Amino acid sequence: MGKKDCIGGGIFACLGIVIWVLTFSFPELAAVGTVHAHPGPSLFPRVLGTLFIFFGSVVIFNGWRTSKLPLPPPPPEEEDGVKIAPLNYFNPILVIILIAAFIALAPKLGFIIMGAAVLAVLMIKLHVAPLKSIIASVCVICVIYFVFAKILRVPLPRGILAPLGF
Amino acid sequence: MEFAIQGLLLLLEPKTLLTIVACSLYGLFVGSIPGLSATLAASLLVPFTFFMDPVPALVSIVTMSAMAIFAGDIPAALIRIPGTPSSAAYTQDSFALTQQGKAQLVLGTDVLFSAVGGLMGAVVLMTSAPLLAEIAMKFSTFEYFWLAALGLSATVMVSADSQAKGAISMCLGLFLSTIGVDITLGYPRFTFGNVDLLNGISFIPAMIGVFGISEIMRNVMEADRKMIFAVKKVQTKGIFKGVWPLFRKYQWNMWRSGAIGTFIGILPGAGADIAAWIAYAVSKRGSKEPELYGKGSIEAIVDSGTANNACLAGDWVPALVFGIPGDSITAVVIGVLFMKGLRPGPMIFEQQPEIIYAVYLAFIIANLLMVPFGYLAVKTSSQMLRVPKHILIPIIMMMAITGAFAMNNDVFDILVLGLMGIVGFFMERNGYPVAPIVLGLVLGPILEQNFMSSMIKSDWNLTLFFVRPISAILGGITVAMWGFPFLMAFIEKTKKKDGAKV
Repeated sequence: MGKKDCIGGGIFACLGIVIWVLTFSFPELAAVGTVHAHPGPSLFPRVLGTLFIFFGSVVIFNGWRTSKLPLPPPPPEEEDGVKIAPLNYFNPILVIILIAAFIALAPKLGFIIMGAAVLAVLMIKLHVAPLKSIIASVCVICVIYFVFAKILRVPLPRGILAPLGF
Repeated sequence: MEFAIQGLLLLLEPKTLLTIVACSLYGLFVGSIPGLSATLAASLLVPFTFFMDPVPALVSIVTMSAMAIFAGDIPAALIRIPGTPSSAAYTQDSFALTQQGKAQLVLGTDVLFSAVGGLMGAVVLMTSAPLLAEIAMKFSTFEYFWLAALGLSATVMVSADSQAKGAISMCLGLFLSTIGVDITLGYPRFTFGNVDLLNGISFIPAMIGVFGISEIMRNVMEADRKMIFAVKKVQTKGIFKGVWPLFRKYQWNMWRSGAIGTFIGILPGAGADIAAWIAYAVSKRGSKEPELYGKGSIEAIVDSGTANNACLAGDWVPALVFGIPGDSITAVVIGVLFMKGLRPGPMIFEQQPEIIYAVYLAFIIANLLMVPFGYLAVKTSSQMLRVPKHILIPIIMMMAITGAFAMNNDVFDILVLGLMGIVGFFMERNGYPVAPIVLGLVLGPILEQNFMSSMIKSDWNLTLFFVRPISAILGGITVAMWGFPFLMAFIEKTKKKDGAKV
């Protein structure tokens, strides 16, 4: 964690500085009669900004300290004689891409089409057979649509299927 | 008594009964699937509670969480993977006993002692919450500020790896709560001209993102590895047979762990997993057979299994009395209460006593139902664990997207969901706990509002935070809590120096 902590702590310490800078544009409450002036909307974010800088620095310091320690042994490559597959770093990115695609296209194409597409793509990527993925996706999205749109009356985007009454 | 009967009648409505059964099954299912936590299950329930009456909405979370915490014990015993973090403390012991051919005894103990622990917690909730509510009526903004600060501090202090990282997570949650129109001057903060941000970050999509989407991202990263759990066929006939003598043998353990679990639950920010670990440690220290711990101790299972379920009801005490969540599940509960137009706090006991009594009774019913439902779950456990995760994960993702949208019927909430998912994913991978983010989001407005009100009332005189007696006690505890790690570090350093001199 050593170097990673230094980077992570640095990011949060920088966030603290950015918060401080942004609060300079916030209005302050002027003194009225015997009541003192006070920082108003900027006070709480400034306290948080300071805490980010402080704890970010603590994480950096701890990271710098642990980076000097010997590295822990790497995780085993085999379990019960079977080679463990490496982590797939693309899949989490795909999840975000699919959410972004849903946000961009669902209002136009509709919940059912985009939902089924998102489900099918993710299932296929997770090694489910294509035909099975498509059938499962259509069935699942129809159930979700029925529960949310028909029973719970959520106005899910209808998109190009609107003329068909979906 | 009148309110108790009203509460019971509300609970016996067909809709509510159906909700109890459905949520029990849902809780058992989610709890028994490793990787899906009770908090995730609670957050996925919220979109449905939006369309329920207040009682079924609250009861759904009570029954689901009770069942999920118990069900987490099943995969722990069968495949050495805890279904929820609350079962992690005694997973090694459960699995070791299963390997010794005692799976029936382990699962039977899990069912019965979880139910007893849950009932003990429910009794404490019923008796202590109204008394605490009477005291809470005397609270002003100063006390509420310190309570919120204490809740957040407790969450940070119990952060497993690093308290500094826990504090950063808490600050992030608090910072997110400042986005939108501020409470003193109505000035839009950190909105960058975006109209959607004026109302602030919606709590529910943010929470589903932090817990749900990040968990999905973590799971899909391991997609190329084995995604179905190989479960041995376990003999589940007569699972309660060997358990009855344990009630006599470990009677003291049961009462002690029930009390520990409930007490940990009442502390703001500490949840069932911490209760289980502490009960385990106390049990080992007081045991006549400490050498069995980690190698298959039924005593450890009795203690920790009782404590984690007792903790659940305890968590509701601060949530109902002060509006301060006891853990991440009750953080969701507070969101549901607000959504239903109910304001958690001492007044809820006077304004909606029938709802409170319905919640009490729901705890009792859920824990009684745990025995037959738990028995069924144990019977079908090997089938439940065969659910292929590569089909389940995309479905959960779609449910999360639909749930986030359903909150405000706004696509912007799906964006919040995705962004918070990314934040949660990276933070977890780097050892930052994510629960403090959610608690920060919930407690942020309470903390700031009470702080600013107190400051304006006292004309910026900070000493007034320590003048009122309860405020001074709460403030003292909070300050001591933050000072404790520094004091310990100082003592350790001094000891090392002295050691080096000698």
